[in-house]
Amino acid sequence: MEAMLTNPLAVLILAHADDKLLLGHVQSDWTGLGPLLEEDIAASAMAQDDLSHALILYQFLGERYELDSDVIAFEREPVDYMCCDLVTKPDEFDWAEAVVKRWLIAEFTGMGIDRLSAIEDKELAARCNRIKPEQALQIKHLQAWIKRLGTAGPESQERIQAALDRLSGLAGMLFEVPGQRLPVNDDFCCGRDEMFKAWDASIQETLSQSNLKASFALPERSLIGGRRGTHASHFHDQFDELTEVRRVSPGASW
Amino acid sequence: MSGAANPVKPLEQTGHEDPDKLAEFEQHIANGGLIEPGDWMPDAYRMGMLGMAEHHANSEIIGALPEGEWITRAPSMRRKLALTAKVQDEVGHGQMLYRVSQELGKSRDDMLRDLVMGKTKYHNCFNYPAPTWGDIAMIQWLIDGAAIMNQKTLADGAYGPYVRTMNRINMEEAFHFKSGEDMVLTLMSGTKSQKNMCQDAFDRWWPVSLMFFGPADKPDAENKPAMKWRMKVEKNDSLRQRFVDRFAPAAMDLGLIINIVTKNEQGLVTSASPDEELVLNEETGNWSFTDPDWDEFWRVIRGNGPCNAHRLSLRRFSYEQGAWVRRAIGSGTTSLPPAA
Ligand SMILES: [Fe+2]
Ligand SMILES: [Fe+2]
Repeated sequence: MEAMLTNPLAVLILAHADDKLLLGHVQSDWTGLGPLLEEDIAASAMAQDDLSHALILYQFLGERYELDSDVIAFEREPVDYMCCDLVTKPDEFDWAEAVVKRWLIAEFTGMGIDRLSAIEDKELAARCNRIKPEQALQIKHLQAWIKRLGTAGPESQERIQAALDRLSGLAGMLFEVPGQRLPVNDDFCCGRDEMFKAWDASIQETLSQSNLKASFALPERSLIGGRRGTHASHFHDQFDELTEVRRVSPGASW
Repeated sequence: MSGAANPVKPLEQTGHEDPDKLAEFEQHIANGGLIEPGDWMPDAYRMGMLGMAEHHANSEIIGALPEGEWITRAPSMRRKLALTAKVQDEVGHGQMLYRVSQELGKSRDDMLRDLVMGKTKYHNCFNYPAPTWGDIAMIQWLIDGAAIMNQKTLADGAYGPYVRTMNRINMEEAFHFKSGEDMVLTLMSGTKSQKNMCQDAFDRWWPVSLMFFGPADKPDAENKPAMKWRMKVEKNDSLRQRFVDRFAPAAMDLGLIINIVTKNEQGLVTSASPDEELVLNEETGNWSFTDPDWDEFWRVIRGNGPCNAHRLSLRRFSYEQGAWVRRAIGSGTTSLPPAA
């Protein structure tokens, strides 16, 4: 475990995998409660994609570091979960917030996985290539919702804009440098500044077609947040729920 | 999950139907034919099928709630994925069955409204609590198992769209059942606390499973429209007997004890002792068993079960929260009067 948590590439992979795990986890709160049955089913499909993508990445790390993927997923200390706290921010069952949050994260993950797959590591690239087509579909689906709701009249435009206003200031968290055990100035393989620009450009393109506005800023490299183990209380609430049943009988098979 | 056990209200033939058409309709059904939406059918049949499909659809989407609440707590990646997919299937069943109902003349929005207003019902078994992971295993094993038995007989019915939907749904239910069986087996071959969790959940769900098929039919049910028109092809008691014959020995093989229990208002077990009636009749091959508490059944179905209010208020919350989205995409929706 220690070897994995101190390896820069493994840490970068964990950041994406943990985003995926916790996103699939919190979004499943919507199961059975979506605004219409068709979208309930689509959201559930996205949650399954997120969970299976997390699993693909945990399995890759598990093989490399001789760890069980469930142990990686469920049995780290909270401080070693590298998801950003945008992921676990409660949406209070506001569908606008759920869609905007998902979309901002999905675009980020899409770019992150593209970059991970470009690293010279055939096995990692093969795993990333399994994720890519589903991720691309997810992004398309979410962009379509943003456009549709942004242009469907004042009521829904206002709701989506309000959700953006609440989340745009937090979206920089996605770009926090991960891994509390690594030096903060460690240079990551994926070009943080360049990736932020590309992400912002893609987001702005959809916004411009959706009658919506938002601006985003790249946080300081030194910022310490969820990705470096300093998680908000809502992360800890989710973590307790995630591990509740396993704690009944630690080490048992479920 | 979730069959449409016992939703068929006694149908009254009003006598205003054209006797020739009615005779032709009944002959067609007696010959094993299917009725399609554009075919002539008695009003009572249309209303009855609508009520049945709508009740079944309501059950699927309400049934998604207790299990949906456990996705976040599922104890492994594999179980988390499987449970998410399972609950998604149930919502999908709801969607398909609402479509069947829509074709019989009621809009989706009217059906969702009637559900949250308490004007229509859903399967009684979802008014019981699922306080542990063991309950999730039991729902998938016993309740999905019971639903498959019931829905297989419904697939021998006469209304084409409903029959085809049952066939599709039953394929998915078979997966749910398999996964439930695997969850129960895993718990029963696990640690002491896992076994206890499993037995406690079994105590909660065994009586609910016996009630699943509904109370005994009236003695002359075969000659009443519901069975004559093959909306329903098997009696509740005979389904219940098949369920016990299948599941009682399976439970005992797994090391579970079949108890008679008393429950408190929250649906939690307050006392449990082995069912002494449970014996195999070697001649018939049938197991005898103690009947569930039918007074409790009627109490719960009338709205006074442990979770009726909770389930309905969640559905109502969802209906209200999602109204603006449905308005935005132009899908019919109307606002609800305030909650009572
Ligand atoms: Fe099912
Ligand atoms: Fe179902």
